[in-house]
Amino acid sequence: MNLKIESLLNYVLQKKHHQFRQSIDNKVVNDFSVSLKNQKLTDIRRAQKRLTWVLENEIPVILPEERIIFTKTIQKLPEIYTPEEWAQIKKNHYIHELGRVCNINSNYSYTIEVGLEQRRKEVLHAIDIQSAKRNNEGIEFLKAVLQSIDDVEKLTDRYAEEALKTGREDIFNMLKRIPRYGAKSFHEALQFFRILHFSLWANGNYHNTVGRFDQYMFKYLKNDLDSNVLDIDSAFELLEEFFISFNKDSDLYPGMQQGDNGQSLVLGGVDANGDDSFNILSEMCLKASLELNLIDPKINLRVNKNTNIEKYDLGTELTKKGLGFPQYSNDEIVIPGLLSKGYDLADARNYVVAACWEFIIPGYGMDIPNIAALSFAKIIDVSIKKHLELSKDFDTFMKKVNHEIQNELKLITATLKNIYIEPAPFQSLLMNGCIENAQDISFGAKYNNYGIHGTGIATAVDSLAAIKKYVYDEQSVSAKEIINAIENNFEDNYDLWVKLRYYAPKMGNDDDYVDNIAVKLLDDFSEIVTKFKNERGGCFRPGAGTAMYYLWHVKDINASADGRKKGEPLSANFSPSLNVKLDGPISIIKSFSKPDMKKIMNGGPLTLELHDTVFRNPESIRKVSTLVKSYMDMGGHQLQINAVNREQLIQAKKNPELHKNLIVRVWGWSGYFVELEEQYQDHIIQRAELII
Amino acid sequence: MHERLVEVKGIIFNIEEFAVHDGPGIRKLVFFKGCPLHCMWCHNPEGISFNRELMIRFDACTGCGKCSDVCVNDECITCGNCVDVCALRLRKICGQEIEVKELAKKLLKGKEVLINSGGGITISGGEPLAQPAFLFNLIQELKPVNIAIETSGYAKNEVFQTMVSETDLVFMDIKHTDPLIHKKYTGVNNHLIIENLQFLCKSDTDFHVRIPLIPGVNDTLDNMEKTALLIRDAKHLKRVELLPYHRTAGAKYSMLGKKYSPDFNINKNVNIYVDVFKEYNINVTVL
Repeated sequence: MNLKIESLLNYVLQKKHHQFRQSIDNKVVNDFSVSLKNQKLTDIRRAQKRLTWVLENEIPVILPEERIIFTKTIQKLPEIYTPEEWAQIKKNHYIHELGRVCNINSNYSYTIEVGLEQRRKEVLHAIDIQSAKRNNEGIEFLKAVLQSIDDVEKLTDRYAEEALKTGREDIFNMLKRIPRYGAKSFHEALQFFRILHFSLWANGNYHNTVGRFDQYMFKYLKNDLDSNVLDIDSAFELLEEFFISFNKDSDLYPGMQQGDNGQSLVLGGVDANGDDSFNILSEMCLKASLELNLIDPKINLRVNKNTNIEKYDLGTELTKKGLGFPQYSNDEIVIPGLLSKGYDLADARNYVVAACWEFIIPGYGMDIPNIAALSFAKIIDVSIKKHLELSKDFDTFMKKVNHEIQNELKLITATLKNIYIEPAPFQSLLMNGCIENAQDISFGAKYNNYGIHGTGIATAVDSLAAIKKYVYDEQSVSAKEIINAIENNFEDNYDLWVKLRYYAPKMGNDDDYVDNIAVKLLDDFSEIVTKFKNERGGCFRPGAGTAMYYLWHVKDINASADGRKKGEPLSANFSPSLNVKLDGPISIIKSFSKPDMKKIMNGGPLTLELHDTVFRNPESIRKVSTLVKSYMDMGGHQLQINAVNREQLIQAKKNPELHKNLIVRVWGWSGYFVELEEQYQDHIIQRAELII
Repeated sequence: MHERLVEVKGIIFNIEEFAVHDGPGIRKLVFFKGCPLHCMWCHNPEGISFNRELMIRFDACTGCGKCSDVCVNDECITCGNCVDVCALRLRKICGQEIEVKELAKKLLKGKEVLINSGGGITISGGEPLAQPAFLFNLIQELKPVNIAIETSGYAKNEVFQTMVSETDLVFMDIKHTDPLIHKKYTGVNNHLIIENLQFLCKSDTDFHVRIPLIPGVNDTLDNMEKTALLIRDAKHLKRVELLPYHRTAGAKYSMLGKKYSPDFNINKNVNIYVDVFKEYNINVTVL
């Protein structure tokens, strides 16, 4: 990175731009909500007025030398309802998260290409059509969209004035063109994106994913390179500045915790014709992320059978940084998975990744891929209590498990009725079909499916394997013993605990005995989910992600039949149980590629942890790449590799039981971190400080 | 090799998947237990004895006494009774006697990953050549998967030569060129090792030379030069790998009830000479 980027990066990292943030009194924000109520406005008008309020109150800020402008100064958006009104709505409706449109992927590219004035014409045309139909609601919605275009243009004009005042004619000139008119250069396209993304936030939308940036921005880059407007270095500098812009205000997003801000960017993958689309911009993005070492944007790499090992190497270089990305998604599995749920081929090939791992469709998807979660550990817990003693063989017990999954999904899906989502006029402008149909995106789009995470899969599978082996095959443990032991948290049956925890077969050891149970359990999950439809005409999508549920779901259950004691966490996503010592990464990827992941198509990655010293030199980088590629070639759907850092090592030292598979390179050899004595662990922790 | 004897038993102490510095591609690494050398810097002391051993982590021990309660022997017979009663899992029996057939099955599990990555199986130790019948029968069972052997080179000539002809890649240690110093720090004379090295240099088998750099013991320019002279004419030497000593080498001694007491200064930085190899056009790298 050059000096200019370094100085901007430091400026942002030191949060110097926070000085421009406004401290607006809570009363002002709350009064705004009350005024919306008092004016007796419809929700669409309220949403529009919030955007107007936010954009009017924004103060233009241009940071020293920056070329991708727009910095947030408002820290808290007003609600469109008073707390009393919202409580009333909640009584009558299902509310997902904050009740706003979130976690979808906008069609940025069309608006960037044609400009807001062209979009305005389209909206006006739509108003004419709806007027003829006397569709008053539709007209109200379209007028709200028109107002949002005005609001965005007005703020841009104020930014232009500020640019002129501060002697930034370059910015002034650019803002005379965009966002009113289509972008003509890479720089303009990046700035245009920033304005749209900023405005989505101001609109109240969050987890505003970036999507296939390397695809929709490529033509601008190529034009500039071909016509010598930019050379590679200057284009790279712009790209780095653009990446930094994602980190300026990400703390202002609502999320489960810092960093959970949904700024996912997808690289590579097949194009509309099924050909690999990885291009020079994809590579530049990987390199920019590598240089900047920032958590945003979060890089996802789509791979397929034609992805060569060099591209995996670029990904592995990034993994080495310890940021926990790129996350890999396998086109060969994801696309057929989407097709099986009724997605059109062109849309499926264009899939992107939502805030975490869920597969969604740019412009067409109003899926809610994280609407609920099925706790597999709880299913097994309930099944053991209710059915284990009465089941004559393992197959009978598995049928009962299947039955319990059905019951649980019935309960879960029954709660997902009468959903209400706040309207989002500006977001609607960026989604296909909303203008033509004169309908806000909150009511849905082409795809309106719901995703159900599956948590505690490994715990469930390990528990089932232990039951199969000891209760049925060997008959060395009775059903009653299992039931009592997990109820008492193994307090009075130490020997059984040792047997279940340390001698029972575990998922992740490439052992068909247990892996076949995973195959069956996930097939059942997929088949049962198919029976349910949501109220928006969509289906339910089974997944293997956990989000924060891997901690939450533990609270609902006792100890489990795999020897996990009460309160010990479940593993994150589609991963081996935490307290299990496995043979190694080859066995893990083999086990976790056995289930048909085309069926578990909502997403949720296998998560592997390798110590960052494994990434030491180009040879070992290549080996990690090969491991990732092997998983994909065997039918893995999604993978995330962590280069383990010092903090994790400290955790591992405190809780060795939870980090048994953490591999560290010690001296010309690798070993399990938790097996080393304290002084050596400390030494490696110290070394980790130097490595990172 | 004549007939295959898959029932031959040997003793191993670990299998590691995804060894990234021990041969090409993705590899599994199996450690044979037992070694005729006793290198003062040995970082795998559980690889020295040919017998099963009890390993104990004392640092987290709360002294609950359950392990002593179940023990009925005056001396440890590695029965393992104390292993499972330790709620903190601080004890384990190191070493598993295993038949060739069963070990081959374990190593070949997931072999498509190894093969597709251009990798294979690396046999290390301990000293693999110290269990020759076990080793050669195992190699027959593993073929055609790519085989690499890590050896000290301390073995009878015919054993060494058979190994070279049966293996795709050899990692051979050269610890010191001086016989007396070698004897002092490893417990054995280097005469056999040098002889075997000379054979390896003339053979058609690819090999790497590994030099553990031990501060004040072998990290001298003179020793490096003598080493380079020994191997400069080798036909299939792929590279020399220098492995600087690391202080974590002593990590496991106390677990075996042994004391790590090397008579060199473990805190001294090692000298790393690479030019001396480059002068002879020998590819050299520091791991």
